[in-house]
Amino acid sequence: MRFSWRVARGLLGAVILLAACAMLVGIEIAEAQRRQQPTPPARPPEAGRQPERPAAPAPQAQPPQPVPAEAAPRETVQADVSSRSVSVTSSFTGTQIVVFGAVDHSRQPSAESGLYDIVIVLEGTPTRLVARRKSNVAGIWINTHSITFESVPSYYAILSTRPLDEVTNPLVLRENDIGFEHVRMTPVQGWETGVTTAELQEFAEAVVRLKQKEGLYVQEEYGVVFIGRSLFRASVDLPANVPVGPLDVRVYLFRDGQILSTYTARVRLEREGIELLLHNFAFNQPLLYGLFTVAIAVSAGLIASAVFKRGNS
Amino acid sequence: MTPLLIFNGIPAAVAVGTEAAQIVASSVSGAIAQWRRNNVDIKMGTVLLAGGIFGSLVGVQLVKLLRQIGQFEFFVSVAYVTFLGIIGVLMLMESANAIRKARQGKAPAVKRPGQHLWVHKLPLKMRFHRSKLYISAIPPFAIGMVVGLLGAIMGVGGGFIMVPAMIYLLRVPTNIVVGTSLFQIVFVTAFTTVLHATQNKTVDIVLAIILMIGGVIGAQFGVAAGQKLKAEQLRFLLAGLVLLVCLRIAWGLVTMPSDLYSISSVVGGR
Repeated sequence: MRFSWRVARGLLGAVILLAACAMLVGIEIAEAQRRQQPTPPARPPEAGRQPERPAAPAPQAQPPQPVPAEAAPRETVQADVSSRSVSVTSSFTGTQIVVFGAVDHSRQPSAESGLYDIVIVLEGTPTRLVARRKSNVAGIWINTHSITFESVPSYYAILSTRPLDEVTNPLVLRENDIGFEHVRMTPVQGWETGVTTAELQEFAEAVVRLKQKEGLYVQEEYGVVFIGRSLFRASVDLPANVPVGPLDVRVYLFRDGQILSTYTARVRLEREGIELLLHNFAFNQPLLYGLFTVAIAVSAGLIASAVFKRGNS
Repeated sequence: MTPLLIFNGIPAAVAVGTEAAQIVASSVSGAIAQWRRNNVDIKMGTVLLAGGIFGSLVGVQLVKLLRQIGQFEFFVSVAYVTFLGIIGVLMLMESANAIRKARQGKAPAVKRPGQHLWVHKLPLKMRFHRSKLYISAIPPFAIGMVVGLLGAIMGVGGGFIMVPAMIYLLRVPTNIVVGTSLFQIVFVTAFTTVLHATQNKTVDIVLAIILMIGGVIGAQFGVAAGQKLKAEQLRFLLAGLVLLVCLRIAWGLVTMPSDLYSISSVVGGR
């Protein structure tokens, strides 16, 4: 038992360091809370019902008021999502969101008659993104070409009652940014240098392909189901790697290839718990975060060596 | 370690930044033990450290630049293939020789360093009492700088370069080398960690803690294995492992990737 006092000293040092770390975190939490407190009133209490126009040029959203037409009232669509806010914690493993809604003044006799088509698009926040292409230089594969896209939706899901080409014509799809071919991707100014339109097309396709591979671009051709004459529902599985940020949900009501009505809603994805704390810590106070990491490393090393020495003596 | 993280799909920059934190944890106890045994030449360590901090500053900026132009992964791969290749081959040759000699019943010959090299003719001479040396400050500064640079770019401690360089170029006594290099590594990797966190935001604290825990557990097994195997055999095995990793990275560079395209978020942009 000759380890005792040297080990005790080592352990004491480690404990003091850890306590210092804990204090740092405590200060950080308190500060984060103080910083958050004044903000809440700025947030609209109900985000989904009448959304302020999303940053993206959404289709002409018609208010869901029944328009008294001459012959019969026009069909309109109303919809909502099962959860308007999803908390992304450190143990977030993805979640399911149900989009449901109803067609007002539905004229279809039953759920199976297929008079109407519903197309639901979920779009994440547009982000800047670089796409790179490798080519073989002297036997080694190396990134040689790149295009920066100004805004690419971080997440994109399309659900419909039927395949899109059966629902309507490409023109309508393009006008409303529906479908992977029509995802809005604006290359950064100056991309023209040495890039042909064909190449740009290839890059855009690659972005969609890679995003699909990551599970962030999803299409389900029979994902929307009518439950009754007017009621429909669809479920989307958000993967664990879904980018945090608001998701715009656009619901289109089609009949004979024409858009009758649209409706928009929004799902908020927010970091919570330790995930939020660490993210804020790392991005708002990188210096403190770095020092904190080093402090943890040092105390881990000290604890390990103290425990290890004890095991050996 | 960094290559293994990259093989597991962790972005190269995050692997490098986080690995720096793990090296702090694994070197700190050794450094303190050496310090207690008075095996640290503080003056030499400070010169090495100054070089290391300079190298780290340059290295982290280089990482930032390489990430912006999208060549960081490539650069890291090439750096690892080069260093692992050289070290693996050297270790393999050395340990094979040692094993052969041990079989023949001869004690491994220790090469006696000669007395004067070009290194000893440089200006800015300083007296390093602990190492019993009177040499220019430029070579230790340069060695420290290379180590800091490699640490920032590759996520390595740099002992594998610093120890031989100090022994063969500077003629530092062997017992001082280990302590002094550990002293430098702890401070340089700590500095690099903070710099990666502020400049590149590529330090993942959760991953770092997992790595530290793994490192501690792994070290126990390592010690157990070390007691069963001879030093030469251990080095031989390690050399094989190093070469395997090297080949794996090289393979990734020369074979056609399954997808020529890749996407990443814009670095530095919002």
